[in-house]
Amino acid sequence: MIIANDLHKSFKTKTGTVTAVGGVSFTAQDGQITGLLGPNGAGKTTTMRMLYTLMTPDRGQVAVDGMDAARDPIAVRRALGVLPDARGVYKRLTARENIAYFGELHGLSRARIAERTKTLSDALDMGDILDRQTEGFSQGQRTKTAIARALVHDPRNVILDEPTNGLDVMTTRAMRGFLRQLRDEGRCVIFSSHIMQEVAALCDRIVVIAKGTVVAAGTADELRAQAGEDNLEDAFVKVIGSEEGLLA
Amino acid sequence: MNVFRTVFTVMRKELRELARDRRTLALSLLLTPLLYPALILGMGYLTENRVRTQVDKTLEVPMLGAEHAPNLVKFLASNGIRQAAPPADLDAAIRAQDVDVALRIAPSFGEDWRNGRPALVEIIRDSTRRDAEIPTGRLQAALSAYSQQVAALRMYARGIDASVARPVNIGLQDLATPEAKQGMLLSVMLPYLLILTSFIGGVYLILDATAGERERQSLEPLLATPAPRGAVVSGKIAAACVIGLGTVLLTLLSLKVSSQFSTGVARQLDVSFLAMAKMLVVLLPMLFIGTSLLTYLAAAAKSMKEAQSHMTWLMLLPMIPTFALMANPLKSQPWQFAVPFLAQNQLLLKVIRNEYVSAQTWAIYVAAAFGVAALLWFAAVRRYQQEKLAVSG
Repeated sequence: MIIANDLHKSFKTKTGTVTAVGGVSFTAQDGQITGLLGPNGAGKTTTMRMLYTLMTPDRGQVAVDGMDAARDPIAVRRALGVLPDARGVYKRLTARENIAYFGELHGLSRARIAERTKTLSDALDMGDILDRQTEGFSQGQRTKTAIARALVHDPRNVILDEPTNGLDVMTTRAMRGFLRQLRDEGRCVIFSSHIMQEVAALCDRIVVIAKGTVVAAGTADELRAQAGEDNLEDAFVKVIGSEEGLLA
Repeated sequence: MNVFRTVFTVMRKELRELARDRRTLALSLLLTPLLYPALILGMGYLTENRVRTQVDKTLEVPMLGAEHAPNLVKFLASNGIRQAAPPADLDAAIRAQDVDVALRIAPSFGEDWRNGRPALVEIIRDSTRRDAEIPTGRLQAALSAYSQQVAALRMYARGIDASVARPVNIGLQDLATPEAKQGMLLSVMLPYLLILTSFIGGVYLILDATAGERERQSLEPLLATPAPRGAVVSGKIAAACVIGLGTVLLTLLSLKVSSQFSTGVARQLDVSFLAMAKMLVVLLPMLFIGTSLLTYLAAAAKSMKEAQSHMTWLMLLPMIPTFALMANPLKSQPWQFAVPFLAQNQLLLKVIRNEYVSAQTWAIYVAAAFGVAALLWFAAVRRYQQEKLAVSG
């Protein structure tokens, strides 16, 4: 379970201070997929970076399975599987070696790494690319490798930043199936997206973020009711107050 | 999580990645071991060749007014200095480097000679031209020999012992060891090249593993793992040091082999295994200093390009003591062995010249050099703890 409580984060730039996140709170339950929905530049990535302890919030707390991210970031990182916005894989290593490297960094044994690689490769259908160097991989193959790498230590909580970005229809469908599988295994899954259909199709709960704050939260039905619109897209536009960033 | 295991894991992964990149690996490992001996031996050969031909060959010197002093011209000819026809504009010819050195004999030479007054001969040359040094020296030596010989004869003619006119007999005793003398040329180049090799030996790998990793967007996932960041950086530094060490070892080895094959001064280098081991001790801290410094700089760079732009001034850094010592040679003092680059330079010179280095000097050197390396390593690790580092682009 991941709890974000009143997160704030600002950055200093040449032109002044930019508030990327200005008060984001939500709870992501185990056995549920929680979607962070918001237009580009809404603060989704910054929020997620605070969740996986890469950034320290200026204010507010993150708790993962009851552990405070500020007090014990190492334990929190161990409990998390993270697919960041930046998902470069090592081009000169094979997919298997990429996965094993992260397994070793998590302190897993060789046997455990081999076992997890097998499980993940079956789930993500990467059998034919596992022993190829990742140089020349397609976007989808790279994303699969990055996801397998992120989940090698079998984490209870999974955070994915726009996992279907740049994937074709078939791969996207497979990815959705994989996320549902993670949920059905009782994991807490958070993923961010700016694509309405995707969030509507997958999420048990939706947290809508715009301009660095949570503007609405609930199930798809609750959001429709809250906005008084039958169509989720209309409801989304209504709660974020503009169409800006939607047409990506 | 075991810190050492993480260091080892990261190091092995970086080395494996480099090993798959054959061309880069070959360049970083073999370039200096192949280049430096070629450079050093080639330079030695050229210098020796020049000296030998200039010393042994008959020297052709344009002489203005040779008709005023036929005996002098004959004397010079018997000393291997032959008269050549002077060009129309002698000064211009010297400036254009067509003529190394020329002689002008004053028209009043004959008259002064007969009256026992000092007769004027002028040596004309460009003192900034190194190539003219040896011909000028030969000409000067021949002229002064002629002058002394005639002076002695004149005194005998007046019944005086010629040694009366030489109250002081100046002798020169050179205390430089023969080994040191012969290593002169190499003593300037070799320490710089060796220090540079160790200083930037791991550069390819470390730039790629820090700034490159960031640019390729794989740093953020790496830092999201529970692996301690200090251990991750140390693993990268360790991998670069392994490559650097390989380069230094190969360079020393190639130096040993090539100096045994060469005929010139390089043959006189101390390339015993003991000397090699000493050089390695001198160069090892340099490897840590260079790699940590590069890590520190590259970690803050926004791109690989920015990180690489640091190389320009880093390449010059080891040259500073070489230049400083050229302009202002220093006596060996303990503090020098605590200053990076200067210390390495001085110590390498001593090892190459086979001079004694006290245990105290070694202690000062090792403590200071590893101290600096530890400080830079700490700074690099601290930089990896920064929040903004992980976020690429």
